Amino acid sequence: MSEWPFLDIVVFLPLAGTLLIGLIPRARVGALRIGALAVTVVTFLLSLGILMNFDTGTADFQLGTSVEWIPEWGISYITGVDGVSLWMVMLTTFLMPLSVLASWSVERRAKPYFIFLLTLETGLLGVFVSLDLFLFYVFWEASLVPMYLLIGIWGYRNRVYAAMKFFLFTLVGSLLMLVAILFLYFSFPGSPTFNYQELLGTPLSLGTQRLLFLGFFASFAVKVPLVPLHTWLPDAHTEAPTAGSVMLAAVLLKLGAYGLIRFAIPLFPDAARELVPLVMTLAIIGIVYGAAVAIVQRDMKRLIAYSSIAHLGFIVLGVFVGSIQGMSGGILQMLNHGLSTGALFMLFGALYERRHTRRIADYGGVARSAPVLAGVFLFVALSSLGLPGLNGFVGEFLVLLGTFFRYRWWVVPAAFGIILAAIYLLWAYKRVFHGPITNDANLRIPDLRPREMVMLAPILVLIAFIGVYPKPFLDRIEPSAQKVVDQLRDSSALPEAAVGDADAP
Amino acid sequence: MPLDIPAVRLTGIAPEIALCATALLLLVIDAVLGERRNRWYLPALASIGLGLSIYFATEAWGTTRLELSGMVAVDGFASFVKITLAVFGLLTVWLGRDFLVRERAEEGEFYGLVLFAVAGMMLMAGAADLIVVFLALETFSLALYVLVGFRRRSLLSQESSMKYFLLGSFSTAFFLLGIAFVYGAVGSTNLYGGEDGPGIVSSFMATGASDVGLLILAMGLLIVGLGFKVAAVPFHMWTPDAYQGAPSPVTGFMAAGSKIAGFAALLRLLDVTLYPLREDWRPLVIGVAVLTMVVGSVLAVVQEDVKRLLAYSSIAHAGFVFTGLIAANDRGVSGSLFYLATYGITVLGAFAVVAVLSGRDDEKVTLRDYRGLFYDRPLLAGALTLFLLSLAGVPVTSGFVAKLVVFGAAIQEGYWWLAVVGMVTSAIAAFFYLKVLVVMYMQEKETEDAERVRSGPLSTGVIGLAALATIVLGLYWGPLIDVAERATLFFAGG
Amino acid sequence: MPISYFLVLSALLFSIGVYGVLARRHAVLVLLSIELMLNAVNINLVAFSALLEKAGLDGQVFALFVIAVAAAEVGVGLAIVILIYRNSQDTDVGELSLMKW
Repeated sequence: MSEWPFLDIVVFLPLAGTLLIGLIPRARVGALRIGALAVTVVTFLLSLGILMNFDTGTADFQLGTSVEWIPEWGISYITGVDGVSLWMVMLTTFLMPLSVLASWSVERRAKPYFIFLLTLETGLLGVFVSLDLFLFYVFWEASLVPMYLLIGIWGYRNRVYAAMKFFLFTLVGSLLMLVAILFLYFSFPGSPTFNYQELLGTPLSLGTQRLLFLGFFASFAVKVPLVPLHTWLPDAHTEAPTAGSVMLAAVLLKLGAYGLIRFAIPLFPDAARELVPLVMTLAIIGIVYGAAVAIVQRDMKRLIAYSSIAHLGFIVLGVFVGSIQGMSGGILQMLNHGLSTGALFMLFGALYERRHTRRIADYGGVARSAPVLAGVFLFVALSSLGLPGLNGFVGEFLVLLGTFFRYRWWVVPAAFGIILAAIYLLWAYKRVFHGPITNDANLRIPDLRPREMVMLAPILVLIAFIGVYPKPFLDRIEPSAQKVVDQLRDSSALPEAAVGDADAP
Repeated sequence: MPLDIPAVRLTGIAPEIALCATALLLLVIDAVLGERRNRWYLPALASIGLGLSIYFATEAWGTTRLELSGMVAVDGFASFVKITLAVFGLLTVWLGRDFLVRERAEEGEFYGLVLFAVAGMMLMAGAADLIVVFLALETFSLALYVLVGFRRRSLLSQESSMKYFLLGSFSTAFFLLGIAFVYGAVGSTNLYGGEDGPGIVSSFMATGASDVGLLILAMGLLIVGLGFKVAAVPFHMWTPDAYQGAPSPVTGFMAAGSKIAGFAALLRLLDVTLYPLREDWRPLVIGVAVLTMVVGSVLAVVQEDVKRLLAYSSIAHAGFVFTGLIAANDRGVSGSLFYLATYGITVLGAFAVVAVLSGRDDEKVTLRDYRGLFYDRPLLAGALTLFLLSLAGVPVTSGFVAKLVVFGAAIQEGYWWLAVVGMVTSAIAAFFYLKVLVVMYMQEKETEDAERVRSGPLSTGVIGLAALATIVLGLYWGPLIDVAERATLFFAGG
Repeated sequence: MPISYFLVLSALLFSIGVYGVLARRHAVLVLLSIELMLNAVNINLVAFSALLEKAGLDGQVFALFVIAVAAAEVGVGLAIVILIYRNSQDTDVGELSLMKW
């Protein structure tokens, strides 16, 4: 354990950074950008400290702090990371400087823009490290407001509608979760507390568990999003500015999956076990539906948005399938999807800045004028559709493997989803970058600028690295993943037995 | 025959006496000194009076007894409400000062009326007999009727004053009939009963359940009268009109003050006196609560005038407080108190921003006037955002904590479905708070103003204080909730 | 005399008052109807006080309070009416419709 509370500093540094941004006069756009970049880069460098100090061999929470906040109500400020949240924290801090780079072209109202972006970072990081249900809820809701404003102010034409939809969908879910949290709080037999680790042991009847699970599930399923609740996502993704789309796809959607892993399953394992078929069905529907709808999209950002629905379906499938491969694959896939889809949005954002249209039909033959851009796009698309040797393959393979062990036939529709992914991504790639040039403007598209290369290079390196050598990532994920799997499979069984069981078909 | 003068203890009504005395003094001074350009001494005097009343209310903290022949209860609950009301009064006076200077209106009467209104509201909190509740109700209502019509040149203001007055008197008549029925059913109007006679419930218990029907009817009528003051549906008709027409500082004061005063009386009546009959009144109050939450939230969605919007929001908030009242447990009472105190500060802050932005003649109050506000007046817009988010119940604000307490109390008592209704209506309500944010952040200003609105130093101070309180109580509310929990209701004799 | 006589009288007066408030459009008439309701309550209070064993003198004292408060209320009410009349030359409540929900 380190003496330095890296975790807490990393969480609150961006918020403190907003003060710095606040001091810069609003006309100095350049200084604002540099300031935001500096804050996020420093945050990322400090977050490396978390990675260094992380102890691989344990499933426990680490590096956290615990301070009483409102003792009257049993609310504490408790933080900590385990294998699940570690990579989410790293993903957030890693992508944030890149998002700032992707926002270089924001000239209008740059000051509030960067302030909201940094506030968003604190909110997101807070969700991942909170180990007190109250604290968690505070961050959960608090991350909503800056995202709402980012979409609503700097988005495209339909931005207000999209922002409103995003906010209200999420809010309804969260409020149901809040009722469930309060119910749990009052059901706890000991002295009242919101402490997650203490609440884990709350004895609840199956009926109550089911209701409370659904309360949490409502909130997380909206965020993931699972299929009947997904309609906010294409709108929000499409209308958000580039950095907004990146954060939305890469991190915000993970909040839902993360919440399922961290809260919904461990707190109500019996109900979770009972509802596995339901959740898995929804996940499979998401995979196939998202991919199928993505194929017919004419708007590139909508296409990527629907592909996210399919990918998140994979993640939820892996999480609920109840085997260690599925769980670790799902968690790794959370990271992968963040990288790949984040990169896709950045690339398309760069393209949009050049041509100001989202319609796929307006492009064509772009590869001729911007070969590097096209190459990078192909690379990322291949990673997203799961080409062996790149990161997406590792995650999807593990999920499918885990599914195969437990529910043999469910693999078929899931694998079908991967084929569809290849279709829509490669077809979109072909239509945008190759084919006849229908519009002369496409001939004059400048290639990637140095800033954009700097922004994309780290992601490309990571994509390749995870694809070739995922061990350091999986090593850190597995102990924590195993713990959740045990809870999902049989909470009454001995842990040793569950471990042995997990590897067998 | 030697005259036997009873020892009169005035701790219970010392804050009210201080206020009334100050108000009278203020009117005299205003009349004596006459027209001057800068009458700074008037708000200063009013502030001193309110400060004195805070002092007296604090002095009474810790004592729990009945005074003035069982007419007034002295307890933590009353002290808490009185201090809160005095704070609301202070904020209103300061805010009113800037407003009155801008509108060149009569200052002395305004402060006098505010002080009288605060005194009446305070008396509601301590009233231990329905007669006193009635007197207190009328005292602050009469003052408010006049305050609502204070913009003399504006017909709108007078129209709302008129409507408020007629509907208010109408509901008072029902309240009064309720008192008469209580009196007929049990032969007493005292909420507690003590050495000087029996109380409502003790008489009821003594005479048996023969008159329970009449008592229930009376209870319903009492709820009508008080429900009117707190703007509960279906007695809310006056709210949007009165809120829209009243001068903005008065609107804030009405929203904050009459709500806490009305609920203070309701809490004492239902959660103490009629606690043994809670299974009888709960269905009725639950009905009112659900209606209030739903109607308030839904109708607010279509409003275009910021003050009307906040009026419907205030209706919805009355519904949320009702959930704490229905729980009728310790957490419910302290939660309701906390809710009312924080809501009052937030809503006063919101109306302070509205008052500053409304410009001369208090007229720029539609959503159109708020377009692109954030880029024009970032701090004011930021403060308003904070208040609206607090009203919507988003974390890191006091409004979130307040919702948490009252819904928590309801869940604790087994009314989790009521909390679900509350959450769903909160989500609906969030829509119209967001609508204001959309206007402020996501739309462009249409025309440049001829003159830039100025926020006077006092208004700025009020907005700053309210914003600070909203944030601080959203992050660290332990002390206040602790005080609210110790602000127990006097429970003897029930 | 049985108490029901008084109660019926009071109920009638109260109902007439309610009807008047709802049906009349002129502010002064509405005000008068409200006065009627208050006086109906006064009859109730006095009747209960005089005829019920368990009730003391409170009711009659209360009636005095009500009369006093009603006078104050009428004072404020008429002041508002006069103010409106000065501004608009009209006291018809129905005409007052600057605001609608």
